[in-house]
Amino acid sequence: MELNNWLLLVPTGAFVLAALALFVIDSIDPDSTNGTLLSAVTTAGAVAAAMVSGGLLLSGAADPGVELFDGQLVVDGMSLIFTFIFGSVTALVALGSHDYIRELPHKAEYYLLVLLAATGMSLMASANSLAVVFVSLELASLPSYALVAYLKTNRGSVEAALKYFLIGALSSSILVYGISLVYASTGSLLLTDIAAEAGTAASDYPGVLGIGILMVAGGVAFKTASVPFHFWAPEAYEGAPAPVSAFLSSASKAAGFVVAFRVFVVAFPIGSVVASIDWVLLFQVLAVLTMTLGNFAAATQENVKRMLAYSSIGHAGYVLIGLAALTGVGGGTESIVLGAGMLHLLVYGFMNTGAFLFVALVERWEIGRTFEDYYGLAREAPIACVAMTVFMFSLAGLPVGGGFLSKYYLFAGAVGAGVWWLALIGAFNSVISLFYYSRVVKAMWIEEPSEPIEIERYPTALYAAIVIAAVVTVVLLPGLAVFDTAAFDAAAALL
Amino acid sequence: MEGIFQYAPAIAVLPFVSFLVALIAGEYLPKKGALAGILATGGSLTLSLVVLVAVVSGHTYNETLYTFVDASETFSLTFGLLIDPLSAAMLVIVSLIATLVHVFSLGYMNDEGEIGLPRYYAGLGLFTASMLAFVFSDNLLMAFIFFELVGLCSYLLIGFWFREDAPPSAAKKAFLVTRFGDYFFLIGVVAVLVTFGTAQFAGSEGFPALAEEALVAGETFHGLGAETWLSIIGLLVLGGVLGKSAQFPFHTWLPDAMEGPTPVSALIHAATMVAAGVYLVARMYGFYALLPTVLAIIAFIGGFTALFAATMGVVKDEIKQVLAYSTISQYGYIMLALGAGGYVAAFFHLTTHAVFKALLFLGAGSVIIAMHHNENMWDMGGLKDPMRVTYLTFLAGSLALAGIFPFSGFWSKDEVLFETLVHALGGSPLLLGAYVMGLGAVFLTGFYTIRMVMLTFHGEPRSDTAENPHGVRWNVKFPLSVLGVLAVVAGFLNPVPIQKLTGAQVDFLHAFLDSAPEATLTNAGHYSDLTAEYAGYGTGYIGGEVMTLLLGAGIALGLALVGAGSAFFLYRGAEPTAHTEKLGRVRTLLMHNYYQDEYQVWLAEGLTVRVARAADTFDQGVIDGLVNGASSVSLFAGDRLRRIQTGVVTNYAAFIALSLVILVALFAVLGGWI
Repeated sequence: MELNNWLLLVPTGAFVLAALALFVIDSIDPDSTNGTLLSAVTTAGAVAAAMVSGGLLLSGAADPGVELFDGQLVVDGMSLIFTFIFGSVTALVALGSHDYIRELPHKAEYYLLVLLAATGMSLMASANSLAVVFVSLELASLPSYALVAYLKTNRGSVEAALKYFLIGALSSSILVYGISLVYASTGSLLLTDIAAEAGTAASDYPGVLGIGILMVAGGVAFKTASVPFHFWAPEAYEGAPAPVSAFLSSASKAAGFVVAFRVFVVAFPIGSVVASIDWVLLFQVLAVLTMTLGNFAAATQENVKRMLAYSSIGHAGYVLIGLAALTGVGGGTESIVLGAGMLHLLVYGFMNTGAFLFVALVERWEIGRTFEDYYGLAREAPIACVAMTVFMFSLAGLPVGGGFLSKYYLFAGAVGAGVWWLALIGAFNSVISLFYYSRVVKAMWIEEPSEPIEIERYPTALYAAIVIAAVVTVVLLPGLAVFDTAAFDAAAALL
Repeated sequence: MEGIFQYAPAIAVLPFVSFLVALIAGEYLPKKGALAGILATGGSLTLSLVVLVAVVSGHTYNETLYTFVDASETFSLTFGLLIDPLSAAMLVIVSLIATLVHVFSLGYMNDEGEIGLPRYYAGLGLFTASMLAFVFSDNLLMAFIFFELVGLCSYLLIGFWFREDAPPSAAKKAFLVTRFGDYFFLIGVVAVLVTFGTAQFAGSEGFPALAEEALVAGETFHGLGAETWLSIIGLLVLGGVLGKSAQFPFHTWLPDAMEGPTPVSALIHAATMVAAGVYLVARMYGFYALLPTVLAIIAFIGGFTALFAATMGVVKDEIKQVLAYSTISQYGYIMLALGAGGYVAAFFHLTTHAVFKALLFLGAGSVIIAMHHNENMWDMGGLKDPMRVTYLTFLAGSLALAGIFPFSGFWSKDEVLFETLVHALGGSPLLLGAYVMGLGAVFLTGFYTIRMVMLTFHGEPRSDTAENPHGVRWNVKFPLSVLGVLAVVAGFLNPVPIQKLTGAQVDFLHAFLDSAPEATLTNAGHYSDLTAEYAGYGTGYIGGEVMTLLLGAGIALGLALVGAGSAFFLYRGAEPTAHTEKLGRVRTLLMHNYYQDEYQVWLAEGLTVRVARAADTFDQGVIDGLVNGASSVSLFAGDRLRRIQTGVVTNYAAFIALSLVILVALFAVLGGWI
């Protein structure tokens, strides 16, 4: 393999190396209670991964896509965008976790699991065969189960992890069975080879290939927390430590989407497999169900963290438009709508992580988790509340942050692709989301607290993570211009 | 000499500074900002005169000074100066009247012990500054911005006595009616920018020149022919003109605007607010000259307004009301001239009217001071002896307004009518209709003007205050004297009849307006070429040019004399009778201004308010109902959806398996596997 090609693996390597470094540190000093070093190593590894992948992306080094290991892995624009997302989310989470788990044991294991899951995710972004997809997905999932259960004396945490694990096992079995059916009908696991055989398979074995594709979609839907495989999400996000919730709802969701984008666009070209299964229609159904259920359920929650969990499901519905609008109208619309899905995940990586980190901050202060507990918080912690306001409004799609633009691209792309009704439903859901997001803002800024809030200390690292996330969210409003061409090009290269 | 143009922006900046001074420090100044205003406007006047000299000596200036939106792909929005003969002359008129109004205000406001004077002088300063900046604007957008500022200032000044009932209401009316017209103007500005990519007035890159090219090339815009589209733009901009210049049907604000202090009325009527409208047409005359339909509309609106307003002026009892209707009527003449291709005549009448109307208002102000703010002419009488200066100057202004030889109004009005007649005979017979209306107005103007003079100054005093009028000081008499002299002589700026009869080159204003360099495309000769080529305005005569001239002048002067004479005859004597009472129901109609206000109030209250209410009901009921309904449905549905999340993991597994089965079944049917 050429040296250049090794260079393309540096982002993934950064996660691995940071993980190995943690192993070494932990074996030298297993009982260390000093989290700063561990957090710093994790953050550094993640930042390095994000910087290198961002640099490779903008320099166009991987265009139009480089296959490695006989095509088992591929590094292209899309994989680099997503590795950038994983790197930045991991960095924010690691930074924020420093204060969150300050008094807890097994810090090294915590950071290790985060890094290993991130490694799995970055491999998912590059996976070019169904076998790699499955293995990397498990590599991302298994640490996640353990991370949810990290607060092992907390009943909620453990119970959520068990549920997450059981649903995950069920979903994995669905995925792997789907993969076997696809293999049975096409005779290959490499995505490009599957694509070559898909047309024949769709006419010879429409049922086998169809059920296979459907089940692969199911397995992916579990990872992206899409309806009806979303049941684990509200409970896992609520029970898990808040930084882990941020990690799962931002990075893990993005990882599920990158697999969905690559597998469905590359391996199952809709033109070839439409005789067997119209997966665009499938994703249209899933998108409508997911965004509607996510937003409607979020509107009635009393617990902010659980509201964010459901809103995270709602956002998965928006991103599914990226697949649901691939109606074959051509003329660049498809690359815009698919690219918009990537952009939305990119912005979401910052604004949603930031929102969960804010919840982590409030949990750290032991103020409470419901809307009522947030009353009058802005008087005690104005900076964090400004940041949270930015996150909420940007999540709702108001033009204070990049969330406005990426959502605009998604809906405009859907209209351009002729599925205007999808955009309409999306817009309607956005209105509902504005209701519950602004409840948070109202609680913080307008309502009076029933009893005075007392905050003893303001954790620096967590604050820094939140402020960084807020600044990036705002900067991405004009700054999305840096990424949008790259995302649209990456999507065009895929299609 | 050209270097002076560097300082030209100061013409508008100086009054703006006086606005700031009066606003911030007015309370602490000895004359509450009046002196700052006089100094500033005096400075503007001096500078304008110097600029005028520079322009007379053959220089012009057309520069973009500041770009506030720089867009390479569409069009840039800029500020700049265009100083050519038209704007240079207008700058002098505006700054001259503004200076005199400031001086007069010392007598009318300070000596009368009014309160709130810093606000008054701040308003005057900003008013003057906006008008001056409007005059030297080099593009339509900048003109629009200052046009709006002029409107705002007139609102502030008309409503100066805001604690009384009438002034605030009059101010609002002036604001709303002109704003209604400006709405169309704004659309017109956007249309000009979008169509031509520029809003510059002058030069081959200006939009009039581009419009001419488009017309020649036969381009189409939005599926419309060039002429149709350009006419639409022209009419949109004309909306703002009609509103500001108080032309029918937007004239209703102007009589009410008399509620403001009289010096403000003088400024509004003579040089600023009302003049802004017609000035705009003159400024972009290269554009209007291309559009025969719009020109005809302008001419007819002008002629009709001249006659229509004059009829109402006949029956008014208050001195300022008579003057208000005379202003509407006189601006009708200016519009008539513009529409009939008489660019020079229009500006000539604008100039003489500025002088004699400022004079009449200031004279009326002097009378009002003397009468302790009683404006009813039937309470006056016999003021000519105690108020000698006021009487003589007012008489000069009145004779000018009535168009009596050799006062200034005669020359300019005669030229307006002459141009209309000549072009009507030269192949545009439609203009004859407008010409006849103009002639009718001549008679009425003579009548109401002399009626006003007779009632105010002649006969026996009809009230105690008229017996013992309050004296006025130098600061009233000085502006009156200056304007009185000008009202007599200003007509010799452009005495066309003398030129035609004797052959002497005395048409100075025509020569001056024609002296702009070819490159600016704003000279009078270019405009008459355009009207001849595009609007088909030829010249025709009855028995030769001199014959036509004498005939036209004779008819106009004859009608004016008959009107003036009959007023003199009817209202002479010690105790004049109220002859207009004999008009019966016609008088009622005229006193109610043809019920114009009534239908406009109905438009506002009967129609607009009802439509707004209906829209509100729709918004409250249907839109809000939908939103509220949607939110309660979502909350209800959300509550149900929550319950799916039972917390029991086996339920979840069952849901997932079931959903998968349903999906498989669905797609099996769709995909035809079964």
